[in-house]
Amino acid sequence: MVKKWMDARLSRGAKSEIHARYLRRLRLQDGWVGITRWIILIMFLGGWEISSRSGWIDPFLFSSPSRIWNLFFEMLSDGNLIDDIGVTILETVIGFILGTAAGTALATLIWASPFLSRVLDPYLVVLNSMPKVALGPLFIVTFGAGFGSILMMGVAITVVITTLVIHNSFRSVSTDYLKLARSFGATRRQLYTRIIFPACIPDMIAALKVNVGLAWVGVIVGEFLVSKNGLGYLIMYGFQVFNLTLVIMSLVVVAICATVMYEAVSRLEKYLLRHRNLE
Amino acid sequence: MSDTPVIEALRVTKAYLSREDEIQALEPVSFEIRPGEFVSLIGSSGCGKSTVLSLVAGLIQPTEGEVRIAGEKVEAPNRRVSYMLQRDCLLDWRTVEDNIFLGLEFRGMNDEATRKQARLLLKELGLEHIAKHFPSQLSGGMRQRVALVRTLAVQPKILLLDEPFSAVDYQNKLHLEELLIRALENRSMTVLLVTHDLEEALAMSDRILVMGGRPGKIRRTLEVPEELRSASPLEARGKPSFRPLFDVLWKEMELW
Repeated sequence: MVKKWMDARLSRGAKSEIHARYLRRLRLQDGWVGITRWIILIMFLGGWEISSRSGWIDPFLFSSPSRIWNLFFEMLSDGNLIDDIGVTILETVIGFILGTAAGTALATLIWASPFLSRVLDPYLVVLNSMPKVALGPLFIVTFGAGFGSILMMGVAITVVITTLVIHNSFRSVSTDYLKLARSFGATRRQLYTRIIFPACIPDMIAALKVNVGLAWVGVIVGEFLVSKNGLGYLIMYGFQVFNLTLVIMSLVVVAICATVMYEAVSRLEKYLLRHRNLE
Repeated sequence: MSDTPVIEALRVTKAYLSREDEIQALEPVSFEIRPGEFVSLIGSSGCGKSTVLSLVAGLIQPTEGEVRIAGEKVEAPNRRVSYMLQRDCLLDWRTVEDNIFLGLEFRGMNDEATRKQARLLLKELGLEHIAKHFPSQLSGGMRQRVALVRTLAVQPKILLLDEPFSAVDYQNKLHLEELLIRALENRSMTVLLVTHDLEEALAMSDRILVMGGRPGKIRRTLEVPEELRSASPLEARGKPSFRPLFDVLWKEMELW
């Protein structure tokens, strides 16, 4: 009875008996993958909770899922957490959008002038090799200990690599397209707006995806250094007062926000590239 | 047919320069093409036939000598000329219709009248039903047909074809050849076709220039007899004089 019901559910939408068997096997596997994922999560959280309660690990250092959950609701209800999340997300979003846009603009500039491209090459290599977070102190004295510095950190960490990647992408557009455009008498500007730029949109979105992750690094480090609020500040503050529950709770929130943001960019990618070839 | 040449190459040479080397691609090459002629340039790969086409297209400049179109020295891509490549180079993010307007946009002649002409061409080549499709939805043969429409849409007087049918399968190649010849019928166009396909050259051209050697030069000129010229590309392949001429070309190619 149950088996029959299961079979029917697993083979819904089948075109034939062979297709039904194929679907059953595929969906059964889908099911096991999902169940295994949940089991891992539940065992991890359960093991953590039990270890903490029975004193196998130090609850003061490693906290426990239930404490983190309680703290999360407490801070959510007094509204502070929402503000911190909002500030950090704002900084990150502006950071990666500015970084990607500035990188693309710079790439356009050096594409437009091969001379400039050759001149700037060693500078870009040096800047790219440089660990950008080390520039923190300079940003603080320039932009003040606050929003500006944190934002710049997010931009700095993304802009150079974006410039290099996008410029490379501009140059890798097949010479056949350049030949075609030139044979029609296209100007360099027309070539850029009609062919080069649209052809490189997939690479720009790929850069955007990478930059989401990078901007989080820049913003969190920036908040470590200067901030009075934000998730990075919560992590730092929790560490200083030795409230590890707060640290871990903030980490989980960062992970969730970063994942959601990455997913959003992935959706945007799918939408923008819906007509393109998959090759 | 007037005898004033529409394309002239006067002792043209081309050397490709790099920091390390200088590669001589052409020995002095000279030829004339009369209005309305269909001329093929054949030769093994690396003999400089594509270089000659790029020179006529004004994409590169000769090292010595000069190329003239309608008596004027070619210094940049000429508006009378349209150039078609082996790759279709369709823009994936534009519909078929917007793809065929590309040349019109670049030439600053994208108006209602020329767009209408381009749409008629699309119809003539049996593609009107895919006007709103995106290139990724089309087969290789279809894509190349769209590229042909884009090439013709700028209403050229001279057509330069760089192995335009070598990337499609045999059946599509024959089909495209027929379509091209039919499209040329009502338009007075001069065609210079570069190909390594001897059959294609024989089936389509009025005259064949055989290139060879490194640096390349023109080894021989072959006038295609009326029997083949008046037949369609497909019919020409079945004519009695086709095979012997093919053998002549084949031997000519083998020598170099």
